[in-house]
Amino acid sequence: MALRVPAEVEAVFREFRTCEFSTLAADGTPITWPMLPFYRASTGQFMTTTSIGLPDKAFNIRRNPRVSLLFSDPTGSGLFDPPAVLVQGDAVAPDEVKTSIGGFENEVMLVYRRQPAGAMYTSNRALRWFSDWYFLRLEITVTPRRILWWECGDLSSAPTVVEAIHVG
Amino acid sequence: MWGELRRHLRRFSSPVLTGVDSDGYPFSIRCAPEFDETQHALRVSVPAWTRIRQGPASLLCHSHNHLLWNLRSFMVRGTLEPAGGETWLFRPARFVPGVGIGGLAGMVRFAITKRRAAGRYLERRGLQRPRIDWAQLKALQARARQQPQP
Repeated sequence: MALRVPAEVEAVFREFRTCEFSTLAADGTPITWPMLPFYRASTGQFMTTTSIGLPDKAFNIRRNPRVSLLFSDPTGSGLFDPPAVLVQGDAVAPDEVKTSIGGFENEVMLVYRRQPAGAMYTSNRALRWFSDWYFLRLEITVTPRRILWWECGDLSSAPTVVEAIHVG
Repeated sequence: MWGELRRHLRRFSSPVLTGVDSDGYPFSIRCAPEFDETQHALRVSVPAWTRIRQGPASLLCHSHNHLLWNLRSFMVRGTLEPAGGETWLFRPARFVPGVGIGGLAGMVRFAITKRRAAGRYLERRGLQRPRIDWAQLKALQARARQQPQP
């Protein structure tokens, strides 16, 4: 089921290049790193991936599914004065290593269009050996539970909040 | 660690502060930390509506350009405690470099560490290191180059 959020919030989900993705470590510390998010408008869920060279996110999710995605850096999005958006939700990260782009063709294509210099990692045999770990990925799917947004990215005031209990 | 944090943090105007809210979910906001040199801590504003609890927290700084390149990131693990009103103290405990920190040597170290971590992930599951279909990837890159910049 699609999310009941304004068009400008959906635009943020589609156009922002990165989000700040948080998982909870074993000791309860929220661990936040930038990630490339992909919004599934038809289900209202988010998909992202992590390399098995950086598996802690997946380990954290398997132990505690609570995560958040903050969309607060509009650089490169082409959006003017967009809202900042925080998505809190529950994630799954199955223990299945993806070695093929089958099924992710649209997402991989979008990444290369948005990040053309990324092709350098596959440009010669030495770099391919050096960076093969990056292409061994684990899929992460996030089902939103609560969505908060701040008009014009102004996080100093209280946000608008929508509970997303029928998503997925 | 404090010196390293001071040196790197000055390059970022609005780090992402993440705590845990009263429902047990991570909650992130942008903040403008001020150095508290006597306590070796950062003073940050944490509005009540975040419902962030005292306890474990982290601070992320990251940036990229319009073409999603010139990536830089680091994270600091620590704890958050109230210090009066909306002012809280973030006490840093561990600096974790991400990409673009430490120059070329840092980048090489980062890649080698992650390559080994990937090897361990596979080994623990009794899996052989899979071969990436580079040709398929190159073909997709060629198609991406033919399309307009999104």
